[in-house]
Amino acid sequence: MRKGIWVATLLLAPAVGMAQQPAGAQALQKVCSDCHAVETVTGQRRTRAQWQESISSMIARGAKGTEEEFALVLDYLTSQYGPAAATAATAGRGGGGAGGGRGRGAAFSPGSADKHVVDEAAATRGRAVYAAECINCHGTHARGSDKGADLIRSEVVLHDRYGSTIGPYLKNGHPTQTTAAARLTPAQIADVSHTIHQEVYNTLRSALQIQNVLTGDPKAGAAYFNGEGKCATCHSPTGDLAHIAARMDPPGLQQRFLFPGGRGGGRGRGGPVGKPVTVTVTPQSGAPIAGTLVHLDDFNVALRDGSGEYRSFKRTAALKVVKNDPAQAHHDLLDHYSDKNIHDIVAYLETLK
Amino acid sequence: MKALVTLFLACGALLAQGLNPAKLGAPPTDTWPTYNGDYSGRRYSTLAKINQGNINSMSLAWVYRANGALGGGPPGGRISATPVEVNGVLYFTMPDHAWAVDARTGREIWHYMWTSHGGEHIGNRGVAVYGNWLYFLTPDCNLVSLNLKDGSERWRKTFCDLDQYYFGSMAPLVVKNHIITGVSGDDLDRPGYIESHDPETGDLQWRWYTVPQKMGDPGSETWPNEEAMKHGGGMAWLTPTYDPELNMIYVPTGNPQPVIAGKARPGANLFTASVVALNPDTGKMQWYFQSSPHDTHDWDATQTPVLFDAEIDGKKRKLVAQASRNGYFFTIDRATGKNIVSTEYVKVNWSKGVDAKGSPIPDPAKDPQLDGALVSPNQGGGTNWPPPTYNPDTGLFYVNASRAFSMYYIYDASDKPEGWGGNDRGGWGETMIQAIDPKTGKVKWSHKWEDGGRSGLLSTAGKLLFAGDGSGNLVALDPANGNPLWHANLGNSVTNGPITYELDGTQYLVVAAGDNLFGFAMLR
Repeated sequence: MRKGIWVATLLLAPAVGMAQQPAGAQALQKVCSDCHAVETVTGQRRTRAQWQESISSMIARGAKGTEEEFALVLDYLTSQYGPAAATAATAGRGGGGAGGGRGRGAAFSPGSADKHVVDEAAATRGRAVYAAECINCHGTHARGSDKGADLIRSEVVLHDRYGSTIGPYLKNGHPTQTTAAARLTPAQIADVSHTIHQEVYNTLRSALQIQNVLTGDPKAGAAYFNGEGKCATCHSPTGDLAHIAARMDPPGLQQRFLFPGGRGGGRGRGGPVGKPVTVTVTPQSGAPIAGTLVHLDDFNVALRDGSGEYRSFKRTAALKVVKNDPAQAHHDLLDHYSDKNIHDIVAYLETLK
Repeated sequence: MKALVTLFLACGALLAQGLNPAKLGAPPTDTWPTYNGDYSGRRYSTLAKINQGNINSMSLAWVYRANGALGGGPPGGRISATPVEVNGVLYFTMPDHAWAVDARTGREIWHYMWTSHGGEHIGNRGVAVYGNWLYFLTPDCNLVSLNLKDGSERWRKTFCDLDQYYFGSMAPLVVKNHIITGVSGDDLDRPGYIESHDPETGDLQWRWYTVPQKMGDPGSETWPNEEAMKHGGGMAWLTPTYDPELNMIYVPTGNPQPVIAGKARPGANLFTASVVALNPDTGKMQWYFQSSPHDTHDWDATQTPVLFDAEIDGKKRKLVAQASRNGYFFTIDRATGKNIVSTEYVKVNWSKGVDAKGSPIPDPAKDPQLDGALVSPNQGGGTNWPPPTYNPDTGLFYVNASRAFSMYYIYDASDKPEGWGGNDRGGWGETMIQAIDPKTGKVKWSHKWEDGGRSGLLSTAGKLLFAGDGSGNLVALDPANGNPLWHANLGNSVTNGPITYELDGTQYLVVAAGDNLFGFAMLR
């Protein structure tokens, strides 16, 4: 059966590549494929929040794109590779074969293509079994204790699919054969297998979230804002930042002032609208031409001028190019903030409800 | 003269079946027989037919579209492999795919497709060639040997367990009768290892774990207990370099596990994030140098350890240098492992200086925190896997570098975090080529890219340094001062390390950008 699905997947794949791509797919290709194969992404199934987390993490790793492109990527991944798609993909595992149809499926993420897919309801049922039979020795999150092995790191667990190795082990290999563990029904074993795999997946890089960034002193934050940080030069708590904390959560606030160009994560939008990077190009003879920077490298510069016209120039020694990044003061602060300054500023901004 | 040339070509024809092993030790000219061109990892070519004087006459000779390959290449993939060129044929990979392409024309000779059972498909660095055989790793943990001639499969050997989230990505290395391979993967808490396989049968010759396997073993004193140590990570992602005289391979090792939340693994966590010298015949460790003690930022040290000789304090020394992901540059005596230089090649904010052995001392305040710690470099690192180059003409070490910031968070504050337990987020940074004097660690010149730039590098006797910028340009710079001399926009950032070779008196330059392979040549 599995072989059949694979053949289907491989046959379909080229067709996927040649089809007219939606804007989101194009953005995904443009922004992501410099550093990794697109399959690395499309093999996974995540919620919108989880995709946002992935995108933020990629921006941290150097992913380049515009706000628009990242928004397109987020929408595209959420719609095409959300949790609902996971259900479809896993349906193909046992029968039907339809699951292999979309791209390359789960095959291209870490682990085996036929990896255990957690059924949330079963995992919840299994949690009760786990609490009754396993938790005393193996711990709340199956990470072991003095009395029992770490199940997350157990090869019996990692090789298991829906109880396939956990079940026989409980019946024959488990050191406490006298306990109820050996008497679990097949359904209970399958449920507890979902629970334990869920705990394994909770250790993966994208599984968890920021806990609490609200540890600073708001008064010290206000002092930094108005003093050393010179934030008040451009921003005002009653102007552009009024009620900012009502629109963004603390992690969002923290990421936004540290990295105003990025989409570092956190919840909420509606912060100050970032001003675009501009450029002024002055030919040897002629007036300076200013506009929004479209492209700049060692050889060419392109901008969109005030009338919306696209202008492009070859860079030469005679052509003066001056780039102006309105967020430069933010970038410069990265070399000066202490972590305490950062936490204080977050605490201060959080008072602007 | 003509007769001599004819004779030479005739000899070449006799050797045309397979690779003469002597080629692996010599600077590459008519061949690029291994991942780094030769064993040294310098990625320097003695060829000078393409040079500063004529670079503007270099033209595009061919383009090979992997995506359009018969049978379908991976849509939207990228070639991060450094092609190997043997007897006029280029061999390269993408995850689950291997190709043979005519090095003169870019015409496909064969395309091998692997039916995958999963694994991380983040990239594949390429093939190794031994005699008439080709070797590459698959994401689903197989070492595959193909017949060079037609791409037919000879055998496959499983070298790792997919259920433990290991995968294959490195280009294997041929040393004598050893095919050296390593495991990739940093999702679950598993130990890294590097192996040697028999080139004829694929059988395992030895395996060396990058973390000690029992208390009392060397390095175990840097771990709190056997449980932490045996799950301590240290993947062998990258192709080692080799010194035939010393008979040592230089293996760069990956980050410890759990990756970000390091609370349950206090200590330096040897031999993770290190450069380790092994005997290629036995897998026995000769020495180690740790680039990132107790790393908590995903800063593996899997950057190429580059071998060269230089005079230090009046004495000729055999050296190995690494521009490490954590922002530090190291020069080490490659016979003994003794540190000579430790400097920051990009400014970092996480270190309290270096210890007596030359390893940086991490500042605990810059470990990931619940409320976040601003750290530079970011997770991407001062540099990453793309290969650097050392140019013996200038005596400089070049690396595509990044100075970036991000916030590192602990997500799991429990006493026994596992896997990742945190991550970094956000970021701002700038990228540049740093030209480093490896004798002092000082940056001699720096060329800032306007927009990104994270390709591999190549330098040549033609006084050229090839690099990709962040705008899709392949750029030739002056290795003496970093001035850009020539460029071509490839429509996608350079995704591998460029190579060069000479065939029939014509020098070629081959580079990958996305899923296209470009062949440039001095065709005049």
